[in-house]
Amino acid sequence: MSSSLKDKLQSMFNNVQVSVLEETRMAVSVPPGSAFAVLRYLRDSGFDHLALVSCVDWQEEGEIEVVYILTSYMENNTEYAPEQKLHLFLKTKVQRDKPELKSVIDIFQNAEPYEREIHELFGVHFEGHPRLIPLFLEREYKIPPFRKDFDTRKYVKDTFDSIPLVED
Amino acid sequence: MLRGYGKPGKATKKTKIMDRNQITKWLKSPDKMARKYSLHVVYFCTGCGIIEIPPTITARWDAERFGIIPVATPRQANLFLITGYVSVKTLRAIIRTYEQMPEPKYVIGFGSCPINGGMYWDSYNTIKHLDKYIPVDGWIAGCMPRPEAIIVSVTHLWTLIDKEMANGYLRYKKNYTAYRRNQEMVLGTLEWPPVYQESGNGDQESG
Repeated sequence: MSSSLKDKLQSMFNNVQVSVLEETRMAVSVPPGSAFAVLRYLRDSGFDHLALVSCVDWQEEGEIEVVYILTSYMENNTEYAPEQKLHLFLKTKVQRDKPELKSVIDIFQNAEPYEREIHELFGVHFEGHPRLIPLFLEREYKIPPFRKDFDTRKYVKDTFDSIPLVED
Repeated sequence: MLRGYGKPGKATKKTKIMDRNQITKWLKSPDKMARKYSLHVVYFCTGCGIIEIPPTITARWDAERFGIIPVATPRQANLFLITGYVSVKTLRAIIRTYEQMPEPKYVIGFGSCPINGGMYWDSYNTIKHLDKYIPVDGWIAGCMPRPEAIIVSVTHLWTLIDKEMANGYLRYKKNYTAYRRNQEMVLGTLEWPPVYQESGNGDQESG
């Protein structure tokens, strides 16, 4: 079942690494250039639900990894069987200095808030996103706060602890 | 026999309807007594502490026995429970809500997060001390405090009202300059003009 998808992906796209984590879980690593095309192929082959877009900061490697988690609602999906529902993790790594990735809103509309969130918390720029404005945060941050080199303790000391008490 | 009921025909002390000692209090200062027993809580959810409010106001703990009742809008409320961590964005809403409430108004910080940040002490987006931004009359420590703690804290608030020590709203007026300065330090610009005239003596007590 999932082995056929593995063969298909590896034959259709270059530099695709597929690892089957469990029977129902599969991780696919692709270069950032082909992430859009692979996502479109997966959507067309039945993974019609983008559950989450997540992000990992690999500080030592100098890379930021964006993870798309896909599942399926369709029963006529070729990769779907009632007893085996496949969760698919699509991972792609971008450079930490200049993280840019193509927005996937054209494929999955619900990626819009996820990409906004990743943009404000990790500083990844999504090309083609209609409004990359802050989603949760109220303040401006020099370093996006979810990156590993963001020193929360120093930030708290400088920002919140420096505000004086009004009365004793 | 049902538990809690004495033997029939025998009056117990628990069946006393009204505490006679309170009659003098009512006659002496009816305004204080009226404030004490009609605490209208603004139903404002910040953080996880709001999960303790539904059992408190409904049948099990029934806070209405103590005159505590939740209302929908800050314009009808005089007690503000800050239930949980306060993010920077929520602080803006808290200040707006607090300034809309009619006087006299009381604020209780609920849980350890508004006191000193709690488990969010090194968070990038949570303010650590609520009393730097609005005056707070009392704190309930704990994570989470039980619904009983809310009722106990309200009885403490009664004592404070009796002694005229629950004067957060007066302190807010008095030190408005310092409070407004702190609010602007963390929130940047505020969209609304100062609600009170610049008092000028706010900075005296800030040192």
